[in-house]
Amino acid sequence: MHISDGVLPISVTIGGYAASAALAAWSARRTHSEELPKLAVVTAAFFVASLIHVPFGPTSVHLIIPGLTGALLGPSAFLSIGLGLMLQSLLFQFGGLTALGANTLMMGLPALACGWFFQKFKGNARSRQIAIGGVAGAAGTMLAAVILAALLATGGEDFFGVAKIALAAHVPVIIIEGAVSAFTIGFLARVKPALLQPAFAHLTKRDHG
Amino acid sequence: MADVIHIQIPAWQLPLLILIPPLILGFLVAWLRHLARSRSAPGEEPDWSVPPLEADSKTSPLHHWDVRCKIVTILVYSFLVAALTRLTPVLVAVGLSFMVLLIAKASLSRVLMRLLAIVGFISMFLVVMPFTVPVHDGDKVFVINQIAWLGFNVRGLLLAATIAGKAVAITLLMEPLLATAPLPMTLQGLSRLGVPEMIGQMLLLSYRYLNVFRHEARRMSSGMQVRGFRKRTNMATLKAVANFLGMLFVRSFERTERVFDAMRARGYKGRFPESAEPHVQARDLIWACVWLVAGVMLVTYDRLVF
Repeated sequence: MHISDGVLPISVTIGGYAASAALAAWSARRTHSEELPKLAVVTAAFFVASLIHVPFGPTSVHLIIPGLTGALLGPSAFLSIGLGLMLQSLLFQFGGLTALGANTLMMGLPALACGWFFQKFKGNARSRQIAIGGVAGAAGTMLAAVILAALLATGGEDFFGVAKIALAAHVPVIIIEGAVSAFTIGFLARVKPALLQPAFAHLTKRDHG
Repeated sequence: MADVIHIQIPAWQLPLLILIPPLILGFLVAWLRHLARSRSAPGEEPDWSVPPLEADSKTSPLHHWDVRCKIVTILVYSFLVAALTRLTPVLVAVGLSFMVLLIAKASLSRVLMRLLAIVGFISMFLVVMPFTVPVHDGDKVFVINQIAWLGFNVRGLLLAATIAGKAVAITLLMEPLLATAPLPMTLQGLSRLGVPEMIGQMLLLSYRYLNVFRHEARRMSSGMQVRGFRKRTNMATLKAVANFLGMLFVRSFERTERVFDAMRARGYKGRFPESAEPHVQARDLIWACVWLVAGVMLVTYDRLVF
């Protein structure tokens, strides 16, 4: 779920722009500068992944995968997500021009948190990576939902009801995201474990590859 | 005190009252979506690998407007619109946006697609807010059949309508902003405004490969369908989707390496060649001023007149 224009107070939208610009700059600094074009291409893949719909009863939900993005891209994830949202806002149907900063924070902060969590605790055993990946995937969506509710609630008590409903609407998505993230990590651990290292980031120590 | 109005409705009409408006809305949205799809792509899927934002033969004042002036004006104006708080100026803003849309000769089906993309989020506000907004003095509340906790607060509906109007007014401006110049031009304008050049380049690259990966994803999913895979609400579907994602990531990361090698082999050193240098003329600035003054007047009207 993305915030559309005109919902948030103007101070929050401008603050969101400032904060996400600062975080994106930090994220770009943590990425090898000559690898930025590669990050752009990978962003396209994550974007396509987020277009996939998973059926849920009579309706269907589309994946958001902030947790998975964070797990695979590490600190570069914030820049990647900002880029993806900009693309979505500019080129596809979704507007959200003024809410772009807030939306980037909403997806990018969980990605950073989950990426850190995944890299910290993933270990070497595949089953453990699957479990941690599932937790990261579920937590990423949960955090995004909490940030969404908090942003909505900045509008004042008139918005509390909507914030609660938006939070509740994310519960099934959290479960689906957790499961899909776990299985995806499992697949990658079997097929191409090198991808489970943050791809383009400066790292103080790297286990292999 | 709040103005509470009690309404008595026979019990059998209550479900109708709850069910019919969302049903009508749902059908309307589905129909419009179908209409927009069929008009934007007669007969077949649109070819996404051809950038749809290339300047077509259309010309309008917005096509000739300097791209930097256009970006700054529309961005600042959008923030001004987002700062509105009352319904009347918001409706004026929607009217202004429609006017710009007509001047820019934007493709109506694309505008419709953009509007439909925000319908879900906005209708959540329209449905939820009238029932959840806290009751203040002077509010008009409709209570049906003595169900006091489900009072319909008119102030909530007006607030939600204001939000919806702002969202529509800004969304309508996206096509005039973006479809009146080729995408590389717009991004070049951004980088001349001080946005790091890398951002524009990354956007272009992402956009290019977005379409490549969409084709790839479509190929993979038709392969899965041929092998008998159907999406259902169960664990097996989630597992299949996860493998699909994993495969997409493996292929795209590998492709990324090849793309980058190819770019370097062709002499890529961190920047793309630029096209002709744009010049700002007095006419461009006058347009920007007129538009922004209109925005400031709207905000003043919003804050002072009431």
